[in-house]
Amino acid sequence: MIIIACVDKRNGMMFNCRRQSRDSAVCGDILRECGGKKLYMNAYSGKLFGDVEEKNIRISEDFLKEAEEEDFCFIEDIQIAGFENEIRTVILYQWNRRYPADRYFLLDLSDGSWELQRTEELKGSSHEKITKEVYERVR
Amino acid sequence: MKNGYKRIIQRLLPLLLCCLLLTACGELDVLSGSPGGHSKGTETITLSELPEYSGEPYIEINGNEPDFPKEEWTEESFEQYAELDGLGRCGTAYACVGIDLMPTEKRGSIGQVKPTGWQTVKYDIVDGKYLYNRCHLIGYQLSGENANEKNLITGTRYMNVEGMLPFENMVADYVKETGNHVLYRVTPIFEGDNLLADGAQMEAFSVEDEGEGIAFNVYVYNVQPGIEIDHATGESFLNGTDVPGEEFSEGEIRGNSRSKIFHCPGQAAYEEMADSKYLVIFETEQEAEEAGYRKAKR
Repeated sequence: MIIIACVDKRNGMMFNCRRQSRDSAVCGDILRECGGKKLYMNAYSGKLFGDVEEKNIRISEDFLKEAEEEDFCFIEDIQIAGFENEIRTVILYQWNRRYPADRYFLLDLSDGSWELQRTEELKGSSHEKITKEVYERVR
Repeated sequence: MKNGYKRIIQRLLPLLLCCLLLTACGELDVLSGSPGGHSKGTETITLSELPEYSGEPYIEINGNEPDFPKEEWTEESFEQYAELDGLGRCGTAYACVGIDLMPTEKRGSIGQVKPTGWQTVKYDIVDGKYLYNRCHLIGYQLSGENANEKNLITGTRYMNVEGMLPFENMVADYVKETGNHVLYRVTPIFEGDNLLADGAQMEAFSVEDEGEGIAFNVYVYNVQPGIEIDHATGESFLNGTDVPGEEFSEGEIRGNSRSKIFHCPGQAAYEEMADSKYLVIFETEQEAEEAGYRKAKR
């Protein structure tokens, strides 16, 4: 599966059961990146994307179990523990800001199993610069 | 008008009662609904109930639930600042942050304000060297308030950057992205007659989505790892020693508001800048840089 997540400068994702931040430019970029392929997320994340039925978005509370190898999975308030070996690509959107955090993205992308394939910079609608990083599993 | 007075009395009554109670107990603490906050929130924070700093810049309080009664939820921006107390200390700052309250230009100089407990001291172990920053209660990125003495306390670099700033960032970016409003209240907490706040309570709640986007209630410690601080005066020493920080009093930093370049004592254009109509004074280089200025090369 292909995991998509947004993180702050310390890999934080959530604080007090709420996402750290949001940007419509990221949502648009995620949809473009998926290119019409299935994009899984839970109902909490679905609210970010508006009318999900028109966008190949599948809403499920147990989507990491349902997703297949080619499917995209957008994670915010869930952990990937137990699914690490199923992940072949990670797309990280870096807010380049510090926010409070109590939930983090815990996959170690520096353990030698991952290679940074590409980096892009986006101008957000409310964030000056968002950095997109795409990591591929190399072993 | 009569109703207005009645409302004020109704709001202040719990505060006065609590003050009497606390005074009777010989234990001063802070009410989030203190004068100037104009909030009915009456959640009391007692320093003695808060754990000692233990390595994290902030702790959650009251289950991270802020205390904004429903009758205060509003979609109109405002900002309110408590009057300074008899010792010149700040009280509660309270705002409803909306896009219209946010700044449209870079921050200006705030060096002319000397909040209680202020000392200009440097330590090599502090990020940016300077132990103390002038900490906005309502951050500049939220309210656009520059040198408002009712909105600036003396806070450590650690408190400012590690403690308060991440929360300000979260609120600012949420408001910018959604156009929604966030009730936002910061209450500095002073023990007794201390001139330096022991910390600050920060609360926020997003109005239009009823807290779905933003809701927190935290206490941020006014400490600096590796440095002992006397909160009564603001004096400080390296941990385990009686070595104070290097006092810094070489003179003001002179910025040019047109070129956005600043000049330090001894630099080429420093003296010429004294009479410039574009003169902006900063106390430290860090402050000038944070205001968007860069240092002159010569």
